[in-house]
Amino acid sequence: MSRRKLLLLASAASSALVLPAAAVSAGRPQQVVLPGPVPYATPVPPLVGRAALSQVYLAPRLHISSDQRVRVGIGPDARPVRIRDRQRLVVHGKGDYQLAIGGPIEGVRPAPGTQSTPGLRTDQLLWAGFSPGHKVLAADVFLRPRAAAPYLPLRLQLERRADGAVLTVTNATAIEQLVYTGTARPPELARLLDDTRRASLAGVRLTGTFATFYGEVTTLKSRPRIAAPLHVRGELSLPGHAPVAFDRILGDGRPLSFRVEARGTGTPHVRLEASPAQVVRLLRPPGAPTWAQAVERRPLPVSDLVRKLMTTRLQLVRSDQFQTYLADPDADGRSRTVYDYETVAFEPRPAVPGSTGGAGGGGSDALLVALAALGALVVAGGGLVAWAHS
Amino acid sequence: MRRTVVVLAGLALLAAGCGKSGHGAGGNVVLAVDVPVSGSPYVAQTIKQGVELATSGINSGGGLIVGKDSYRVVVKVYDNHLSARTAVADTRKALDAGAAAVITDGTGADATWELANREHVPIGIVYDGGSGLVDVESRPNVFRIAPTNHGIAFRYAEYLIPKHFKVGLLHDDSAYGQEGASDLGRAFSESPESVAIRMTLPAGSSDLSAQILRARRSGATALLVWAQPPTIAAVLTAARSLGWNVPVYTPPTGADPYIRQRLADHPDWVDGLTFAGGRLTAEVGTGPFESFQSQYESTYGADRVGVRTADGKQVVQPPELAMYAYDFARVLVAALTRAGTLDHAKVLTALNQVTIQGANGDERGFNQQSHEGVVDDDVYFARFHDMTYAPVKDDPLSSTLPSIPQTR
Repeated sequence: MSRRKLLLLASAASSALVLPAAAVSAGRPQQVVLPGPVPYATPVPPLVGRAALSQVYLAPRLHISSDQRVRVGIGPDARPVRIRDRQRLVVHGKGDYQLAIGGPIEGVRPAPGTQSTPGLRTDQLLWAGFSPGHKVLAADVFLRPRAAAPYLPLRLQLERRADGAVLTVTNATAIEQLVYTGTARPPELARLLDDTRRASLAGVRLTGTFATFYGEVTTLKSRPRIAAPLHVRGELSLPGHAPVAFDRILGDGRPLSFRVEARGTGTPHVRLEASPAQVVRLLRPPGAPTWAQAVERRPLPVSDLVRKLMTTRLQLVRSDQFQTYLADPDADGRSRTVYDYETVAFEPRPAVPGSTGGAGGGGSDALLVALAALGALVVAGGGLVAWAHS
Repeated sequence: MRRTVVVLAGLALLAAGCGKSGHGAGGNVVLAVDVPVSGSPYVAQTIKQGVELATSGINSGGGLIVGKDSYRVVVKVYDNHLSARTAVADTRKALDAGAAAVITDGTGADATWELANREHVPIGIVYDGGSGLVDVESRPNVFRIAPTNHGIAFRYAEYLIPKHFKVGLLHDDSAYGQEGASDLGRAFSESPESVAIRMTLPAGSSDLSAQILRARRSGATALLVWAQPPTIAAVLTAARSLGWNVPVYTPPTGADPYIRQRLADHPDWVDGLTFAGGRLTAEVGTGPFESFQSQYESTYGADRVGVRTADGKQVVQPPELAMYAYDFARVLVAALTRAGTLDHAKVLTALNQVTIQGANGDERGFNQQSHEGVVDDDVYFARFHDMTYAPVKDDPLSSTLPSIPQTR
């Protein structure tokens, strides 16, 4: 089922949520839409711009995959001062395309390997042409740091000390989310956990699915914080000393933050790479190769299974969300994003090619994003439950 | 007669009354059309008619709303005689007349853009695909809706090299031919083994037998002729007279009615001639272009080529050039509307931000990175048969395009 269809289904489910109170009290079975592949908990990422997007056309038989490398230049305090996203779209299939990708974009230029030249309008990257069967569209997209930085997956903080420096790396994707709970049959929950685990280990997007619940379906009283697991590796170095390397997973049941210390004097240099990761640890079955076998071996509390199913799927959805920092014009396309952070010399921002000129003003970006977020949360809020009348 | 005048005056008043309410009369918006009326009448006429067609509906609909005022769009035509010097003089006159834009075949654009740029007036090129005419950085006021020489040359390289032809790259010594040769040189530079010979032909010569014989002896198995229509006709005449049935490829000039008129007695010599052009249809099909063509023909009549098919039908020329002029005028109108003012600088900025649906159904517009309204991907190839042409089937884009009816 496509993400577009799932989004519609989830929206429909949110309206169905208020209907069957009688069914709940009678303990009748109900099908609940599980999280994934949509909706995302927040509307951004992918990034949005201030301008309405130009008309988009994608021939029905075309599909587009997106690979992005986001290079974040960080200043002396490790805050982002420059953000450049190299997006490589691969169009599969024969036909016309007319694409517009929004974001706080201040410039674009062709990237190596591109078979077409990108266009630029206010806050829009444009592509138009014909794909003869396979076509690469690659661009370096220069983003306004003030507007784009809040949607990066990591927060970095760098403290200078007399004898060295301390870098704190924090997963910034965590957000409180509604999680449904109720009574379901362990074998079905185990099967769904196994399906979820398989998708996670294969690194593919979740497919939409349902679980059958019996009786009342409620939400957890305290909303858990759901974060995209991030694989972070890199090094912190000071002149004349060996770099201190690190390689961690932030999330997936591990802490969302860590600190790295390096000794020495001089200007510290940070270089790290972060990529949205899969949920592995939290989906490992206890004492058996699969969840199905685990529940056969010994009883596992249903509430724990339900919570694990819901929260791990929400984490995978959040991880999938950060795979598209700039939008993939094909909502069903495969997207991958890697975020590179590196200390850069702090200097006034250089002029970028095709600058939108006077396009600053993060304030308006923030307002737009806030309004968009409000709208999307209304849609996403109760969108997980669908009721099937038996 | 007097009664007719009274009725027309009444209708005019009625039309004025039907104008979009709430908008004051702002006066005229002048669109200057600078074309070679006396140097290349077919090109000039079709460009002029394309612009007029785009604007006539606006005036009859109550005028062009810019900000709070309604304006009448006036098209002023200048004849540049295919002379850069005259084009400069025309541009001065157009600027003096307060033109909102100068729409041109491209003659003299290397000189006129700077004059217009001082006043932030856009220049819209709708015929000449010459490289260097349009440069978003150094010539911010120059826009083009027409296939570029660069795009055509590279599409030809992409199309012909995999066929393993030994291509004879011929061009005439006109400015058009020389510019094209330069783009072809770059396009084929990565595959020099594909080129059998490069040769300059004298423009205007009707007998090219010696040159074509030389091309044949070079081992060429295809000819790519970047030249004016008379030269292309002369190449076909020479090759076929020699009994050499070599495939001949050309830029858009290969579709010029002149060639078919010139070779009307030997329609088989035209058969197989392949030219490159901007696609006339989008993925939505022939509907939009046929609708435009019908509107064009009902206003100006069909552009008859002057030849007939084997079964006696009149051949007409699809209004491709008119389409580019029509689209540019409509993009300009969209920019004026978006700018909400006649301030030239603001209109120039707005031109980078608007899109319209073009006469062929495709989106047309410019942006901050590109002032080309026809992307290289939109260059297709068509081949003549029986005095009409159809998209080729051995090119990915062209094979998806339907034929446009060309007989009446």
